[in-house]
Amino acid sequence: MISFGGPRLDEPAATRRHRPDYILIVYVLILMALGAITIFAVGPQHANLLNNAIGSNYSNDYFFIKQITSLGLSLVAFVVAAIIPYKLFLRYSGTLLVIGLAACLLLFLAQLGHLGIAQCTLGACRWFNLGPLGSLQPAEILKFGLLVYLAAFLGAKMQKDNVSDVKQTLLPVAWVTGLGLLFLAVIQKDLGTAISMTLIVLVMLVVSGVRWRILGIVLGAGLLLGLVFIVSEPHRLQRVETYLQGDKASTSSASNYQSQNAKIALGTGWWLGLGVGNSIQATGYLPEAINDSVFAIMGEMFGFVGVSLIIVLFVALLMRILRIMDHLVDQRLKLLAAGVFGWFGAHVILNIAAMIGVIPLTGITLPLLSFGGTSMLFITAGIGLVFQLSGYTTYSPSVKEATNEDSHSRRGIGRTRYASRRGA
Amino acid sequence: MKLELLKGSRSRVLAGCLLAVAALFVVRLFYIQIIQHDYYQQLADSEQIKRLTIPAQRGMIYALNGNQPVPLVMNETVYTLFADPATVKDVQGIINTVESVAGGNARSNLDKLLTTPNSRYQILATKLTTAQAEAIKKKGLAGIGFQQESQRVYPEGSLAAQTLGFVDADGNGEYGIEQGMDSALKGKDGMLQSVTDIASVPLTIGSRNVKKPAQNGENVVLTIDRNIQSYVEDALSRQLQKIGAPDGSVIVMNPQNGQVMAMANYPSYDPSTFNTVTDASLFNNNVISLPYEPGSDIKTFTMATGVDTGVVNAQSTYNNTGVINVDGIDIHNAPGDTQFGNITLQTAMNWSLNTGYVTVAERLGGAGQDINLKARQTMYDYFYNRFRLGQLTGIQLAGELPGIIIPPSDPDGNAVRYSNMAFGQGLDVTMLQVASGFSSLVNGGKYYKPSIVAGSVDDYGNYHAAKPTTPTTYIKSSTADQIREMTHVARSSVFPGIDKSGYYMGGKTGTSQAIVNGKYSDTDTIATYLGYGGSQAETKYVIMVRVSGPKFGGSGAAAAMPVFTDISNWLVRYLNIPPQE
Repeated sequence: MISFGGPRLDEPAATRRHRPDYILIVYVLILMALGAITIFAVGPQHANLLNNAIGSNYSNDYFFIKQITSLGLSLVAFVVAAIIPYKLFLRYSGTLLVIGLAACLLLFLAQLGHLGIAQCTLGACRWFNLGPLGSLQPAEILKFGLLVYLAAFLGAKMQKDNVSDVKQTLLPVAWVTGLGLLFLAVIQKDLGTAISMTLIVLVMLVVSGVRWRILGIVLGAGLLLGLVFIVSEPHRLQRVETYLQGDKASTSSASNYQSQNAKIALGTGWWLGLGVGNSIQATGYLPEAINDSVFAIMGEMFGFVGVSLIIVLFVALLMRILRIMDHLVDQRLKLLAAGVFGWFGAHVILNIAAMIGVIPLTGITLPLLSFGGTSMLFITAGIGLVFQLSGYTTYSPSVKEATNEDSHSRRGIGRTRYASRRGA
Repeated sequence: MKLELLKGSRSRVLAGCLLAVAALFVVRLFYIQIIQHDYYQQLADSEQIKRLTIPAQRGMIYALNGNQPVPLVMNETVYTLFADPATVKDVQGIINTVESVAGGNARSNLDKLLTTPNSRYQILATKLTTAQAEAIKKKGLAGIGFQQESQRVYPEGSLAAQTLGFVDADGNGEYGIEQGMDSALKGKDGMLQSVTDIASVPLTIGSRNVKKPAQNGENVVLTIDRNIQSYVEDALSRQLQKIGAPDGSVIVMNPQNGQVMAMANYPSYDPSTFNTVTDASLFNNNVISLPYEPGSDIKTFTMATGVDTGVVNAQSTYNNTGVINVDGIDIHNAPGDTQFGNITLQTAMNWSLNTGYVTVAERLGGAGQDINLKARQTMYDYFYNRFRLGQLTGIQLAGELPGIIIPPSDPDGNAVRYSNMAFGQGLDVTMLQVASGFSSLVNGGKYYKPSIVAGSVDDYGNYHAAKPTTPTTYIKSSTADQIREMTHVARSSVFPGIDKSGYYMGGKTGTSQAIVNGKYSDTDTIATYLGYGGSQAETKYVIMVRVSGPKFGGSGAAAAMPVFTDISNWLVRYLNIPPQE
């Protein structure tokens, strides 16, 4: 039923490559720089905190240097994803999915075998421990693989116009997604990552044109499934209870602690914040100050004005991806862009929403800003892929002319080059 | 194609969702960061701002060496070494280092302490010196830390132990000057109100930090002269060991200013190891804390009362029959009385005859045969109000007790009691009261409130003497001079040749029976000697000696006086008093 070899389809007439959308890079770099500044500012406090708490011996600039290294690697991933022809991604989409699933399976086996390579906390193993190379989260590989696979798969179904066909399209998608969820939510007990993966699939389904009625059913099923997962784990239930207590929850109970301290960090920031390096919550009050909670720390340092600007940056970047998506002709490329949009968007929304107490804590990083390797590496690679695709956009005069499939897949009519649209 | 037409609308749905969520976020941020700012600021303050105490350094205690302060009690910084077993990496390394550096200060079961599960604090060694702490610190071992503490050190050992007192584990002064001037010695702890990190380490972030520096405690200089104190302690213990008496005290005062030059008790203890003392009575300064019946020393006060009111003088006579009847009760002289017939009060002083001083008390009431109310009121006025017996002197030491003198208005303050009081029974006083009152009898009639504080040493080490106390004149100077001479005669006629020649000394013995099971006991006596010395022109010192204890039957002349003589003869030289021909 599922063809892991990757659906082979006739390639639509290729759009000629043009200048890609460098604005994407500008947004990425600005966000990365803001994250690096934040980690530079609170890294020494974080090192001090860990040194006192677990007896480690981190130097003051340890986290900053590591973040710069991660940023460098992520930019390499960006370039690699931007250079490797998208056709290769599509051709080996099945292989990528298999690699993702295999990585998760390998981690599961390592966990069963109690191998040191499986890095576990509280009974959940989510990372490969690669020793001096750091750690690798296979869930990110799986997300990337699933994204590319579904782009190819759904793209093919769109061309056959049977994307809303339950048997031909939706059931296979459900199977693959279900398999991914089995690894992420059940085995790795990582509900946050599972939700973000589900959102990627959902966004791709939306863009693929699946009928709204079916999407409604899918969404309902997803929520039901999420509820089951929450109820099945006491610590998740606790987080939800904390969430339901709202803003008045006290910091004295352990389960409220992080959520409430995130809000304290934001609340003390006021209009303009305490200034770079003046975060007090990062000295130990707010857990995960440089990882999951970095947004709250930025709120403390940069204030309402600062974090609002960061939200504007994120929105601008996401809108840019949507805009590129709109102007891609090849359905598979459109879906690739949609997947990256869903991925990036899911992370941003889940993280910030948890920090401001709109949803319970999920343990998801804030892309490009949070300290951390794997997640940033793959998300940046995703944007790199979109950057590549932005070189294949077509700006036809109007979608109303879309009766002739070929008319918008070529340049020469009107302003076809992206560059000429600048400032429009 | 249908799909193409959908293109724009679907992405517009996504864009709409995104913008809606972003708008929600910004509104929510505005609510948290702006509207609720004060609420969260308040939460932050209660969590982040801590009040830390800046400990004030306890004042040092000095004695005088001549006119220069020398330290008796100093502070020393010691360190407690602790471990956080959760972050300890090199257990064996720590054990080796601590055992080799800290030695006896280390706990014996380091191995167990360092591997205690679920523990984040274990004390490995206490009272480490700065050098030891530095040596351990230099090894850079993970998971250990130091707590700084201050402890008292005593460069002069147990010198003046009861006068000093000690500082307990909570930093409170106990006994002596440590308790008596506790708040001045403590100083005022400062306060640092600061934003701190989660481990309460102050941060320099923000403008909410308030600092109030600590006021270090006062460095107190005692009036105690370390050389006199040292000699007095030796002299006392020499005598007590020689005669096998269990308990004794000595006070040396300067009668010209009321300052205590030495104050010794035997047996004593070492304040640096106060926590090993099992008998807490060793902490008591019996010079001020042990009211007793003073016995014949008091005859000097009775005589002064008679002289000052003009009813008697040294040459006044009375008929000594060896016994005198007061309200139907016979009062006898001590055994060995040979001076019968018409004798002077000087003779009665020399031989310490009780009848003579009962007679003085009688004459205070006029020419009657009874110690009437007027006599008793006069005696009470002099004893209590003028010589300040039976009440606290207000010396700056802790643990002073007032004793008691029963006033004539009390049903117990009858003629019999006052006849006894005339020769030192039926009243409880302390040595300090007697020595202070006696000082006013040998310095020309000026009563100085006794003091043990000579001044202070400031932060730069400069000595500032306290303002001299102004005396109160309660008796005529002629009265005082007569008593001074009477006691000189009493001493020199009965014990000729024991004083260094060229000096002017005087004194009065006292032997009172202790009350055992409600009766005066002849085997348990309190032997005292109250005397003074100096030149004829000026008294330089008053010394009072007490020797007592259970199963001790010594007399003032035999047990206590030798200590006086020993100290006195040494003191005239130490004080550089020029002898006169």
